[in-house]
Amino acid sequence: MAATGEREDPAFPVGAACRIDSRSPWRQVAEIPVGLDPEGIAIDGERRRAFVACSRSDFVSVVDLETHDVIAEIATGAEPIDIGLDEQTGRVFSADAHSDQVTIIDSATLEVETVVPVGGYPSGLTHVPEFRRLYVGNSLGSTMSVIDLDTLETVATVDAEPGAGAIGVDPTRRLAVCVNFVAASANFYDADSFEEVGRLELGTGTCAIGIVPERGEAFIVNSIAGTVCRIDLDAIEVVEEIRTGQAPVGLTLAPAHDRVYVTNRGAGSVSVLGVADGAEWSQIPVGNGPGGIVVDRHDGRILVANAGSQTISIVEDLLAAKPPAPVVEEPSPWIGEKLPTFALEDYRTGERRTNADWAGKKYILNFFASW
Amino acid sequence: MILVDLWEGTEPRPEVERFCEMWGIRGPILLDPDGDLAGPLGVRGVPTNVVVDSDGTIRAFGAARLDELEQAVDDLYGR
Repeated sequence: MAATGEREDPAFPVGAACRIDSRSPWRQVAEIPVGLDPEGIAIDGERRRAFVACSRSDFVSVVDLETHDVIAEIATGAEPIDIGLDEQTGRVFSADAHSDQVTIIDSATLEVETVVPVGGYPSGLTHVPEFRRLYVGNSLGSTMSVIDLDTLETVATVDAEPGAGAIGVDPTRRLAVCVNFVAASANFYDADSFEEVGRLELGTGTCAIGIVPERGEAFIVNSIAGTVCRIDLDAIEVVEEIRTGQAPVGLTLAPAHDRVYVTNRGAGSVSVLGVADGAEWSQIPVGNGPGGIVVDRHDGRILVANAGSQTISIVEDLLAAKPPAPVVEEPSPWIGEKLPTFALEDYRTGERRTNADWAGKKYILNFFASW
Repeated sequence: MILVDLWEGTEPRPEVERFCEMWGIRGPILLDPDGDLAGPLGVRGVPTNVVVDSDGTIRAFGAARLDELEQAVDDLYGR
């Protein structure tokens, strides 16, 4: 498939090395159609490819990062959500939520090597090359599976809590953190013995984590609260709550660890948060309903999976440092205007419903998607 | 509260049914699979709440956080 939305601006050359304070703090590079409900992204830096877990298509789209073409679709189990790539073995791992398994793909041949059964509804994974371990959060199983990256044997299944999903690992402190969406909590484990060494109650809808080992900090997204918690990993306590855009769900760190990128599913944007100051530096517009996010270490570009648009966005963060002015979210131009006329099918009755059905009443339209 | 489902990518009814069962959702649900209403309104993510006054005027837009939604409802009723 062809790339769309390419907007090259010769005034602002490509690449993180070319970061400058510019007229716009971001640049859109491309928006590329992939499969249905893309959620997770992993990058093969050597072959310049992105692997995109398309949960409603039950396949992984493979995108050539030079041409922006989709070059393959690799069938997985049902509902692949999260995805990762181990550079040492060249293996790609997809967490197939509805199949209770991890699919292992050979990134060279683009063929499925094998599958590894895990707990119920695996929805998050992370791999730690230093430990040669893959950690998988099983939401319905309320467990964390630990898999050897080389032998693919499951070396441990650790009790977590309902909604276990995103996992972060601090290799310095040898600490694994499992984030539990439903329980709104995080469990902290010794990464060698898997003994639980701490637990935190967090804001509602905890769903992504990033770790900055040199600062001894973790950043955990609270999607319903619309914030990111800064966690002191030595004290295991929340030290700050940072406001983001609407309904944050995904998070990744910039390679320099000076900023955190957070996808705002409710706003179609990425918040850029300063690691040191905890301030929101900018918001980068992407596609509709963004979720998974990763930074391409080759060029510093940010890749975002847009579940609503069925695309991935490639954007550049052009900020060299914190901007002088804070982010100001512009209110919708529709505020104070009349709601447009609509005629939509009622899911329960099949009838067409219009504005007239609620004439004279006060009401809230809640736009939602089931993913 | 009127729910409006969008961007499912597939036939929306089974997805909405599963979602409603999982979360115990009742009340009216409209289907906007192609964004016929969401598109012109500039909806770019979910959830997005649009608070509408009795004369059809939009009073708040977005309000995904609970505190924002509560404030919008209070404002709507002059509380």
